[in-house]
Amino acid sequence: MTRIDVSDIQGFALRGYNFPYARYLLLELAPAKQARALLRKLLNVVTTGERWDINNKPQSTVNVAFTHKGLEQLALPLASLLSFPLEFQQGMRARSDILGDSGTNAPERWDPVWREQYVHAWLAVNARTAEALEARSREMQQFIDETGGARLLQSQDAGAIRLHGKFSTSEHFGYTDGFGNPDFKGAERDCVPGQGKLTKRGEWEALATGEFLLGYADEAGELPVSPIPHLLGRNGTFMVYRKLHQNVNTFRAYLDAKGKHYQGGKEKLAAKFVGRWRDGTPLELSPDMADPTIVADPNQNTNFTYGEDPAGIRCPLGAHIRRTHPRDAFGFNGGLVNRRRIMRRGLAYGEYVPEGQPVSDSDERGIIFMALNASIFRQFEFVQQQWIEYGNDARLGNDKDLLLGNHEGKGKFVVQGTADHANPPFICGALPNFVELRGGDYFFLPSLTALAMIATGTVDPR
Amino acid sequence: MTNINGKAYAMNAITPMKPWKTPLLKLFFLVLGAVKPLQKDLKNLSFIHFARWVCIGRNAFPRLSDEQPTEELKYDYLLFISNFNGTWNQYIDAFSAVLYKGLDAIWLWSEKYPGSRPVTAFKRYISFVQFDTDYYYNAYPHSATNDVKAAIRVQSAFTKFAQTSQSLSPADFQEAWLSFQAAVSPDLGATGIAPIGT
Repeated sequence: MTRIDVSDIQGFALRGYNFPYARYLLLELAPAKQARALLRKLLNVVTTGERWDINNKPQSTVNVAFTHKGLEQLALPLASLLSFPLEFQQGMRARSDILGDSGTNAPERWDPVWREQYVHAWLAVNARTAEALEARSREMQQFIDETGGARLLQSQDAGAIRLHGKFSTSEHFGYTDGFGNPDFKGAERDCVPGQGKLTKRGEWEALATGEFLLGYADEAGELPVSPIPHLLGRNGTFMVYRKLHQNVNTFRAYLDAKGKHYQGGKEKLAAKFVGRWRDGTPLELSPDMADPTIVADPNQNTNFTYGEDPAGIRCPLGAHIRRTHPRDAFGFNGGLVNRRRIMRRGLAYGEYVPEGQPVSDSDERGIIFMALNASIFRQFEFVQQQWIEYGNDARLGNDKDLLLGNHEGKGKFVVQGTADHANPPFICGALPNFVELRGGDYFFLPSLTALAMIATGTVDPR
Repeated sequence: MTNINGKAYAMNAITPMKPWKTPLLKLFFLVLGAVKPLQKDLKNLSFIHFARWVCIGRNAFPRLSDEQPTEELKYDYLLFISNFNGTWNQYIDAFSAVLYKGLDAIWLWSEKYPGSRPVTAFKRYISFVQFDTDYYYNAYPHSATNDVKAAIRVQSAFTKFAQTSQSLSPADFQEAWLSFQAAVSPDLGATGIAPIGT
């Protein structure tokens, strides 16, 4: 059994808090002396991975992460700065060619805060209530004012979408989101079927800790690439932050138009796009209709494989969840997939507009996509480059992921099918960009120990 | 000089072996060649065009003329040639993830081979023993092997459909057309430019 030091790990790295309110403060740090003073204030309030007392759960949480530019500003020793993985040193803007972030997704088109400035730190507040969010945000601003440690470049709000008066896990296109996060050894819950990795016997077990936290063995049996000294990296992880704008009007119009011609109907086509019905029912488990009992059961809602559906008859080969978490789809019991997993911590931003009401593409609306992984290069960048913007592993040539692909009006999506009229093959052509990248960067989410070292200027690369 | 042409990558590696080990490896190759199930995992890696290992004896190198100095080599050599789609890292990661037993059985006899797991040491080793490709011709730079194989399936299904659908009634034709579309629907990926190598 793997034990991890939960009191040294930021809570955000271990679990999604499932709080409905969030605010991400994007900071430019002051010179090291003042910035360190701010970090010393934060040290006392950063939320760790320790379990919460059931009678005394916090109303809000605080987490912090830094870009490489931010660590430079904090005057880490050069030897440490240069020991970080190359992609993190470069930052996401410089990786746009590798990621396929071109055209409407190119850095020149990003929001000014990501295009013109360098965000040094991401200070995240998650909260149970709007009041708690405001209270904690005020405290953060007070820390900033008292120490002069940073300048607030932008405050990005995000949160759960309210449906029928209740908070949901829905996103703006109407899909229930947030099912498939990988389990890893040492995290608090047992492995949920479908969430870790497949064994040879076809069972599911947790992934190696080192796929998601630095300082622990990974799936290859070695320690992930980590900055020096060892204590700077251990119990930390890397975070990818992408502001993904959703063209909701374009999506709804496209689905309506294609849905009219698809014999399975509009909702089935929507399910084929993603691999889940919009309520979350996996197509592999229920190809003909949504089934709330499956969605409600954690032992079922991610518990499936693609081995019995090699031609994509139930779930298309290019469906979003099949591309991004292929399970056994490439054979070898998922052996080619286990080192390409990411932990998602996304939340919607912008006002939700119910189906049937007029909606504009240009309103601020989308997902703040955050992914955690031990190696941005091997995990997030691989998924983005090879599985979203390309299709060879899924045997789909250059076809891109329907939802996230940078199609520029030229993409296509094939729904595999049979001669059965209820499930015929269907081609969706002239794909527009349903999602556009509006900015983001690569962050390092340090452990509490590392944060203390950074805050006191005692990082010693030896 | 390039190892990359379109969607394909050419990898060559040469590793020295103590001569007494060569017959053992050849014996293993004999078994590997005869027992087809042992080749299954390699063949199932769909992005690999082929992988070939050749033992080159220390006396097998040609002396082209009298002017070429005579050499007395101490090692036999193992030549590895493979073409694949995707990136160098992806290829070695895949080898290490799912073919490590087979790879170790083949390369174990080579000097300083660290084993294919953990993968970092293995990558370091390959980068030391890899020789860059002088000239690389690729007939279909915008296609991976998966694309070519898919195109062959579509073409033969289409030819068959054309032959069998000539005299169908409109209603039967519609059904046959649907069946044809269904049959080729997994094989319709676009061809094009590969993502940039990392």
